[in-house]
This record gives sequence, C-alpha cells and structure tokens, in this order.
Amino acid sequence: MVRPSLPPPTSLFCTSFLAMATSSSSLASPCFQLSPSTRTHLSLAPKSFLPRSPKLQASIRRSSQSTLATRSRSISPICFFFAKKPPSDSKQTKVQELYVYEFNERDRGSPAYLRLSQKELNSLGDLVPFSNKLYSGNLEKRLGITAGICVLIQHVPERNGDRYEAIYSFYFGDYGHISVQGVHLTHEDTFLAVTGGSGVFEGASGQVKLQQIIFPFKLFYTFYLKGIADLPKELLGTPVPPSPDVEPTPVAKAAEPPHAAIKNYTR
Amino acid sequence: MASLRSPSLCNNLPSVRPSNKLVGLHMISPARSHRGSPFFSNKQQLRSTIRCTDQISAVPANHSFPSSRPASKVQEMHVYEINELDRSSPAYLRLSQKEVNSLGDLVPFTNKVYSGDLQKRLGITAGLCILIQHVPEKNGDRYEAIYSMYFGEYGHLSIQGPYLTYEETYLAVTGGSGVFAGAYGQVKLQQLVFPFKIFYTFYLQGIPDLPEELLCTPVPPSPEVEPTLEAKAGQPHAALNNYTN
Repeated sequence: MVRPSLPPPTSLFCTSFLAMATSSSSLASPCFQLSPSTRTHLSLAPKSFLPRSPKLQASIRRSSQSTLATRSRSISPICFFFAKKPPSDSKQTKVQELYVYEFNERDRGSPAYLRLSQKELNSLGDLVPFSNKLYSGNLEKRLGITAGICVLIQHVPERNGDRYEAIYSFYFGDYGHISVQGVHLTHEDTFLAVTGGSGVFEGASGQVKLQQIIFPFKLFYTFYLKGIADLPKELLGTPVPPSPDVEPTPVAKAAEPPHAAIKNYTR
Repeated sequence: MASLRSPSLCNNLPSVRPSNKLVGLHMISPARSHRGSPFFSNKQQLRSTIRCTDQISAVPANHSFPSSRPASKVQEMHVYEINELDRSSPAYLRLSQKEVNSLGDLVPFTNKVYSGDLQKRLGITAGLCILIQHVPEKNGDRYEAIYSMYFGEYGHLSIQGPYLTYEETYLAVTGGSGVFAGAYGQVKLQQLVFPFKIFYTFYLQGIPDLPEELLCTPVPPSPEVEPTLEAKAGQPHAALNNYTN
C-alpha cells in the first residue's frame, strides 16, 4: 500500500538545499547532495543477508559456561557439533525483523555539520551529529528519535558521495533503545551492526540494513535482531514499501496518542 | 508508567522468576514514576537495591508462551563514577557556536571509577557525550553517550546510549575485553550530583563469573557519598592492581 503523496513541505527544503549544494562542487554538507533514490524491494528472507551461520554465532556467543570459551573461535566441525543445543537455546538464533522509517523534518536543528577539517572538500575531521524522527514501518505511529554522530571518513568522488562511520541509537520511548555502529555511504545501501540495546532490546545483536530513499531526509531501516524476546506487536506490522513519496500519516506526525504514537515516544 | 527498562522487577512488566539464592530482593519502583521531580530526590528508588546472585530470567508478563530467550545468567555489578576535577574533564566543545546547548556540541570526558562500596579505585571512564537537544522543560539536556569503563588488568566495558541530565537512563553494554569479553546487556545510570557523581548498576550477560574483587554490597547512592581516603589515594589495598588511571 503506497500512501498518496501529501503536499510536500520537505520539497521546499530539498530545493533550498539543492541550491546550496550546487553552489559548491565540493558539496559543503553531506545533506546537500541528493543521491538517486535507491529503491530496493523489501526482502523477507533475512537469512540471505546473514554472513555467518546463526548456529555458529550462537555457540560462540553463549559459550561462556562451556569449554568452547577456551577453544579457538575458528569455525570447525566440532563447534558445529556442540552447537546442537536444546530447542530453547536454538531460539537464541531467532531473527526478528523490525522496520522503521527515519525522517528529517528539519525541526531539530539536525544535522550539525562540523567542518573541523577546515577544508572545502568533505574531509576526514568533519563530524556530523544528528537527530531525526523515527516512525513505524507502516508510517502510522511515531516511535521516537535517532541520535548520534556520523564521522566523515572520506569523500568518494567517483560516486559523488561520502563514506561515514556512523555511531548512533534508535529510541523507542518506553520500550528502550537500540545502538548501532557501522558504515554509512551516501551513494548506496549499507549494513550496520546492532551493538546492543536496553528495555525490550536488552542484549540485542544482529545487523540493520540502511536504505536511503531521499538522502538525507528519508531513510528506511530493516533490523535483523537476535538475542531478544519477541518484540511487542505495537512495533511490528507490514511496512510501507520505501519510495520517494512516503510520508508519515498526519496523525503520526502530530503524534497523537494513543493510536498514532507509542507511549512516551522519545522526543 | 512503569519503565520497561528494568531488567527484572517492574510492577506491570517483565516479571521475575527468582532463584532460591536471591538475597534481599526488593521491588524497584518504576524509573519514570517520579517524572518531573529532581533526580536526586528519587530516594524511594535509590533505597532499594537488588541482589540477584543467580539465575534470573525476565519473562514478559503478557506472554502466555515460553520466552524465546533461554534463561541467561545476569550478573550485577555496581560502580561509582566520580569527577574529581583533576582530569581536565569534561571538555565542553561548543561547536554549535550557540549560547544554548545545541546539537553540534561535543563533550569528551574522563572520570574516575570506584567500586560500589566506595572502598576501591577501579579505573576510569573515557569517551564522548554528543549533545542531542536541550530540554528546557526539564532544565536539562539529552546526550548520546559513547564511552568505555576501564578496570585495570580486568579489562573494559563499552557502553552506548542515552544520557539525560535530569533523569536516570538505561544504556546498552556493547561489548568488553578481558573478563568482560563477550559481555552484553544493559546498565542503569543514576545521576547523584550532576555532573560529578554517577552510580551504575550493570546487568551483564554472556561472561564467566566476575572476580570477587569486582563484586560488593554497594553503598546506597546519595548525593553525599564519597570514596574512602585510601581509595582516593589509590593505595594498594584500596585499588585494583594496575588500576587504569
């Protein structure tokens, strides 16, 4: 279900930023460069993205009480053999998918591009703290915010983009938060690591796929979470497929409880 | 309004099946029940402590089927972080160039870490707070905190999550080294005197039993707590061997 596009106030911002962007070939800020919308179809086969066997990962991670902790962590048939644990342990490997949209509505002073490299071209030394709004995948609920920092690593001229190391968190009101770290390329989709969480996300691990829809205003995330209890139903649901026109519903933007926002959504 | 973040005891939320070895178990009042009141007047919360020494599994109260998480041993550890103003910390970098604390300000910091009973110097914290927003109605700020806590030869813990100057928060334990290698879980941060004294309760999973030296009955957090003079001086019996400095 694709939402009808609303009168887009953000298009005005896009235009103004485009104007500023084209004034400098170096693209003074990461946000001034609009990469082509990267439409990818949602994949509901997360296991294709997991680089390692979940069982091996589980056996290594949860082996604190077994002799595996003292053995080499190389993948070997022995590790795989001992990975055959009772069903309750195999549930540790259960991957849960969580979809969220991140929107920059230009009302949080974000991003703050700190050109500490003091060079005209985006260079190592530039730091970009940011904080945007978070909505559920079906765009019907305001969840909270993202908050963190992008560390510019290098400008990639042949792709007309930049590479950042991103370290930030997603906040889900009373449910807790998820912390992530990894590479953010302005010119293509990337995977970041889920480093941990709190609340219902305590002990979370796994990875998250970042898809830019309209950089840097609209991003779509697919979390592949492991090591946590079943997510509350309120956070799950069929996501709206990412496209340049997606917008949160007006009630979600207004964050009217109880239906259009989770309890104590992070502001 | 019960916080979902308590790993074990919340009124409406994850109920705990304690083991027989639980000692002195008290209910912690929900973290947000005193919303709006000054953080250090939450004495009701601060009075209660948990001593969970063995098997605890958090079972969501509203699930009628078995939890998808197997019972995983949670180890609690308590420490104090104290800024004694002798490490040039914090370094408030007002990079936003605005008078009000704004997105863009960065605050690297490093403070001293003491054991929960305030009798041993353990090491230091080190990292960065990224100011996210000023919260005028709470007269405080929201930071994204990314830092580590160093425990001398025992290793370190890395942490990431929210730091609110006006209320307690739960951060994620993202990893560790040494005895903390493979650590995961969460940590509760309770500010006692902003920004000089902070009390932490770690809920650690995924690691072997912590050394006795790091476990203790904590001094209940309050604004007046101080490390012992020997701990402050880092004397051998009052500090970890080669404590991080």
